[in-house]
Amino acid sequence: MIAQAARPTQGRLADRRFWLRGALVIVVLVVGLGLPFFLGAFWLSTTDFILIAAIGALGLNVLTGYTGQVSLGHAFFLGVGAYTAAFLGDHNVNAAIWIPAAGVVAGLVGLLVGPTALRLRGLYLAIVTIGLVFLGTHLFVNLPAITGGPAGRAIAQPQWGPADFGGTGVTVLGISIDRNGLYYYLALLLLALSMWFVHNLMRTRAGRAMQAVRDREVAAALVGVNLARTKLAAFVVSSFLAGICGAVYGAFLFHVEPGTWNLLLSIQFVAIIIVGGIGTVWGALLGSVFISGLPAILNNYSDSIPFLQHSAGGGGLDVGDATDLVYGILIVLFLVAEPRGLIGLVARIARSIPQRRRIATASIAVSPVAEE
Amino acid sequence: MTTFVQLLFNGAALGCVYALIALGFTAIHRASNVINFAQGAFLLLGAYLVSTAAVDRNLPFLVAAVFGVAAMVVIGIVFQMLVLRRVQGQAVFTVVMITIGLNIIIVALVSAIFGSNERTNGVGDPWGTSSLQAGGVVFLWVKIWAVIVTAAVLVGFFLFDRYSRYGLATRATAIDEEAAMAAGIPVRRVNAIAWGLAGGLATIAGIFLSGAPSLLDLGISNIALIAFPAIIIGGLNSPIGAVVGGLVIGLVYEFFDGYSSNLPWLGHNFYAVAPYVVMILVLLIKPYGLFGQRPVERV
Amino acid sequence: MTSQPILETTDLKLCFGAVTAFEGITLRVDEGELLAVIGPNGAGKTSLFNVLSCIYRPTSGRVSLRGRDLTTMHVDDLAGAGVARTLQNLGLFRNLSVLNNVMLGRHHLLRSGALRGGLWYGFARGEERRHRAAAMEALGFCGIERYAGAYVATLPYGIQKRVELARALAMEPTLLLLDEPVAGMSTAERDEITALVRRLHRERGLSVVLVEHDMGMVMQVAQRVVVLDFGKLIADGTPAAVQRDERVIRAYLGEPLEATA
Repeated sequence: MIAQAARPTQGRLADRRFWLRGALVIVVLVVGLGLPFFLGAFWLSTTDFILIAAIGALGLNVLTGYTGQVSLGHAFFLGVGAYTAAFLGDHNVNAAIWIPAAGVVAGLVGLLVGPTALRLRGLYLAIVTIGLVFLGTHLFVNLPAITGGPAGRAIAQPQWGPADFGGTGVTVLGISIDRNGLYYYLALLLLALSMWFVHNLMRTRAGRAMQAVRDREVAAALVGVNLARTKLAAFVVSSFLAGICGAVYGAFLFHVEPGTWNLLLSIQFVAIIIVGGIGTVWGALLGSVFISGLPAILNNYSDSIPFLQHSAGGGGLDVGDATDLVYGILIVLFLVAEPRGLIGLVARIARSIPQRRRIATASIAVSPVAEE
Repeated sequence: MTTFVQLLFNGAALGCVYALIALGFTAIHRASNVINFAQGAFLLLGAYLVSTAAVDRNLPFLVAAVFGVAAMVVIGIVFQMLVLRRVQGQAVFTVVMITIGLNIIIVALVSAIFGSNERTNGVGDPWGTSSLQAGGVVFLWVKIWAVIVTAAVLVGFFLFDRYSRYGLATRATAIDEEAAMAAGIPVRRVNAIAWGLAGGLATIAGIFLSGAPSLLDLGISNIALIAFPAIIIGGLNSPIGAVVGGLVIGLVYEFFDGYSSNLPWLGHNFYAVAPYVVMILVLLIKPYGLFGQRPVERV
Repeated sequence: MTSQPILETTDLKLCFGAVTAFEGITLRVDEGELLAVIGPNGAGKTSLFNVLSCIYRPTSGRVSLRGRDLTTMHVDDLAGAGVARTLQNLGLFRNLSVLNNVMLGRHHLLRSGALRGGLWYGFARGEERRHRAAAMEALGFCGIERYAGAYVATLPYGIQKRVELARALAMEPTLLLLDEPVAGMSTAERDEITALVRRLHRERGLSVVLVEHDMGMVMQVAQRVVVLDFGKLIADGTPAAVQRDERVIRAYLGEPLEATA
């Protein structure tokens, strides 16, 4: 005999948790959509960087976090995306096309590069991806027609109707949204779509296969997972997202040069997923808040933070050094104390909060079609 | 012909420096299965310490050099004991990222403490630009000494590895850490020694790297990145492979630089990426390097 | 009896350099049969299994799966060919839940690629539901459906073994290769797994080859037993016959094989 569930079945509307969750969603939506109006220019542009970087970090998480393929070459794919956008922009192609195109081209490059990486494991793979960044920079420097050579180039700004991303922004229903605000909504939209895609991917066949490859390759092959195809798929998804990130990032920056897509940038992305949480969807955003937001915060508040230089040549740490120092310390700290990143930290805190309801429901058999 | 010999000599000298760096990588990887991304930072810090001692404090060069090497050996050991021991047994990716973090921290600290300006007297070495000239080829003394010292260090290393207790212990740990522990080998000490060794080797490499031209700035920490292809080509666990890899990379670098005008289609400064291209080509044929072995996985 | 065996090896030999893991292995498994491969440690049993599951290529000899040459197949072809193998040291995916582990058993039966999965429209969503039901059914057969949401790394060893069996079952195989299914278990756990294996064999009609040290378990479930010693096949027959075989007794250092309850 199966014990009756503690709550009578009254449907979802009577469930308090449903209303709470609904309220939460509404709050998040209001805050998310209204944020540009609450933030000043500095914080808004910082937020833009955070959101844009999160897109790329999500891609890296697919490759490294979910599929276990260590890559320090992410910056290269960002560059490919940016230069695709630049090239198409030169030919007066609309941003609605060059944004996804940047992703597609970067994804194709990932498909080309992927097979080289298939036979390599772990550290060998990591070092080859470093080589990819160097080769990429070399390539970018030596193709001035597309990349503008060492001096770099500007990237065309999106322009949809009255919304001018390059200049004064747009005025809608009397409300004016400036450039930072426009980029905010663009990045938010792209990030939301990417997160939704990756979330779905990981709960279906292909995503599960990626995680299996990460956890135990032999066992994955034994259940029929094609290792090569799975790794390549991860490369393509990862590079696709990197390409989109690079295109928007480049446009936001106005000007990019081959030196922008360097090893340090790749390391930054790795730092983001480590701090945020490897192999999680929200980890990319959470980590990006810390890692992308950091330089801006330090820069802006250098006056009030002790030990930091307040003026050139003055005593104390230079802001660039201070930023690097904090990066390095964050990386080491998280890896030693909480390898699962901020998401892991949140989970740990959540578990330690006593929940009476949890103990009660544990004794009831879980419904077979429980949601993941 | 003179160009060829010149490049050969320069390449060999540079290769010796890379061999030292690569040997440091290999020492650590054999003991703890990790690539130390902070090797470049060790090199940087070591060179700066020697420079401070020799140039700022006016100590005799040899004393300064010994001081720098000794200091870095200690720092290497300290780092292993403070941080690496805590993450023993965790995924390789985790530990590698920690060394990347360490690299960032050390470079930032060097910049903060010593300033980011270049040090125009380099490491205060006595050789400067003096050289031996023969048959139209210039043999810079600093490079000659690089070769000599490297040879001596390598002989010392191989003797240590083959004939000393700790050398044997390291090789045992490299093969199977658990079995080594079970056999009573002080694995933690072996690891600490490996890291100390890497610190010392990096410093020696740093001295010769900043020797000529006599300039020292933060950028030399990036040299270690060029040493990666050396260890990959040689295979991560093989000391001989490290030396061979280092020499190959040094020669590749100098030859591509020297003959760059003959190969304009390769683009500007191809020599900087040439080592990586060579590495990728080698890996396409032998995914574990020339001397490397496929790690065995028990099914 | 059936004419064509489901699995057949002919004079199979495997060498690692100068070391011969096994040679002269000729055996057959008929449809629906449960064959046990036993032998002292180092006899070559797991190496044999590795050849049977395409992880090693044999040095010489033939292996055929329902007439199809196994030595030219890849590891990832096995699932589609109806072969499921468990690993000696547990081949579970540590960072995934029990349900996801078993869902990976359905991998070769699902069709969605990365694109359809990521977009989560009709087809992908539908097949997820259908196959999830099948996965839960496999978990139910193994008695562990209440662990569906748990992460495998947190579970006791006995439950993990059952998860691996459930995953193998979810693959809808016709041939099961079980590598030491009761290794390292307490008596109670061992009895449960033994019963489970017997049910898999009888109720699902699967052909089973298992490698095992535990004589009691073997005697309870095996229809035929094959004995390996130092890489050679020294006996092949019913459990009772093999138990009395002198060479087998000697291989186990003179101790008589016990048939424990």
